[in-house]
Amino acid sequence: MSYRNRELASLVVVGLMTGFGFASVYIARQDVVSASSLSYGIFFLCLYLAAHAVTRLTVPNADPYILPLGGLLTAIGVTEIYRINPQDALHQTIWIVIGVVAFALTLFLFRRDYRKLESYKYLCGLGAVGLLMLPALPVIGERINGARLWIHFGGFQIQPGEFAKILLIVFLAGYLREKREVLAQGRLKDLGPLLLIWGAAMLVLLETSDLGSALLYFGIFLAMTYVATGSKKYPIGGGVLFLLGSFAAYHLVGRVRERVTIWLHPWTNHFVYCSQTGKVNHLRQDCDSYQLVKSLYSIGNGHFGGTGFGKGTFTDTAGNPLIPYLKTDFIFSALAQELGLIGVAAFLLVYMVFALRGFRIGMIAEDGFSKLLAVGLTFGFVLQTFIIVGGVLRIIPLTGITLPFVSYGGSSIVANFVVLAGLLLVSDRAQARNA
Amino acid sequence: MTVGSIAVEEVLLLLKVGFLVLLYLFIWRVVRTASRDLRGVSQESMILAPQRVQEQKKRRRSGKAGPKPSGKLVVVTSPALRSGEEHAIATGPLLLGRDSENDVPLVRDEFTSGRHARIDPRGDGVWIEDAGSTNGTFVNGVRLTTPRRLSSGDVIRIGETDLRFER
Repeated sequence: MSYRNRELASLVVVGLMTGFGFASVYIARQDVVSASSLSYGIFFLCLYLAAHAVTRLTVPNADPYILPLGGLLTAIGVTEIYRINPQDALHQTIWIVIGVVAFALTLFLFRRDYRKLESYKYLCGLGAVGLLMLPALPVIGERINGARLWIHFGGFQIQPGEFAKILLIVFLAGYLREKREVLAQGRLKDLGPLLLIWGAAMLVLLETSDLGSALLYFGIFLAMTYVATGSKKYPIGGGVLFLLGSFAAYHLVGRVRERVTIWLHPWTNHFVYCSQTGKVNHLRQDCDSYQLVKSLYSIGNGHFGGTGFGKGTFTDTAGNPLIPYLKTDFIFSALAQELGLIGVAAFLLVYMVFALRGFRIGMIAEDGFSKLLAVGLTFGFVLQTFIIVGGVLRIIPLTGITLPFVSYGGSSIVANFVVLAGLLLVSDRAQARNA
Repeated sequence: MTVGSIAVEEVLLLLKVGFLVLLYLFIWRVVRTASRDLRGVSQESMILAPQRVQEQKKRRRSGKAGPKPSGKLVVVTSPALRSGEEHAIATGPLLLGRDSENDVPLVRDEFTSGRHARIDPRGDGVWIEDAGSTNGTFVNGVRLTTPRRLSSGDVIRIGETDLRFER
């Protein structure tokens, strides 16, 4: 079967799964939701078919599974958001449509040769830094839940960091392709850029109080440097530097210390300091670690088989939501409850399989820029998934960052569709030779 | 009522099982094709030619010559390079163009683009590809539209520079 026919067949299966998901929510919650939920399944199938038509036109030799995997994650996400709040699902659907449009535009713009981006690498680098700085500006910048990550723009809330990530990867791919020979020799004076970016990551960390993004950017940088040089010095040295920096941040920044304490000791049997009241009058699970603990109970309530879509418990008997930020940072714990261990295991496998396809594109890509671009985009995608899922599962300290394709949030959806388009472009060029 | 609700439970269970079965089948299918695909590209790697760098390091230390090059480019005529000058093609790709950062810089050839062409030694021979140049890359007078494998004696024309590929 040709690549595009395989993609079409996979998309039909994904459309069917979307239909099953929405049908379950509809049947389980007939008293709350209307029959219109069934039209979501058909709507998404049409949307995927439109995206598929674009790939047929622009990237005929591209990887057949990247788009269906992205579509599947998007569909699971929007099903769960619909189950939490139908109104939010409508907004999310609008963003997904915008994401598919961005996907199509990226493919059309770069269908001839995306490698011309390499000439604009410094522009991309500057753009990334500019976008990262935006939320720090007064008036348009906004601090939500302690982290400064959002800007206001004509009634929309935009998270520029999501787009900065892509520009940064393009910059690094171009820069490392050019400098890799020098970096690979590993003389001390050539370590300047490494230290510079380490410093920048630490600054981002301190300025935005956002551990997750700092870890994400620095991790992408180290992975791409390793791919560019084949030298293990960089990931090991960089890891040590990051640990040292985090250790310093732990002692200097109260918020970081708070996060680590929540991570290590979410439950207490005596009253501790509560940052909301400012007094020592709560158990920690009733105050600072309330969110994390409730999310862990939610995951536990899913057991092996899950409650099924639409039958999880996300509100108390009075109808108040149990977990704050359920549809964004904690969507994983909602899914874990409704799909159960067997379901979320498959869900995480989808991310792994996505990584498998992405790294394969990196393997078959012929030139350095394409290899670095594919590996960078894929690694950024999976590291982000690890940071948020690891945080929710208490493997690492929790930091608010979106779960790619699944969390509620427009910037994240649109940016991830652009990542999909990028991977398709690289794989199309790599496979055109064999076709 | 009881009959109705039992039916609802059963339909929900069916949907749940159907969803999970489809999900695992889909993953299985992708993994299966992935393992099949990877067999074909087993000699390739995500890491950019680390061997080449290691070899360079060794060569610098021991002063010995590197591995046998997979071919060389001999300058026939050029406004930028001396005629007869040779450029060895090692194990990594070679970039040709007007910018000085290219592996074979053609700084004074005004008809070349900044990054003009790429020569890529692979398992199955040495390939040449146009890197998006304005005036095109020609092999034996034919303009390249797709990558092409070079044979010994082929003449590559880039701008006003003629290079002969030799094994």
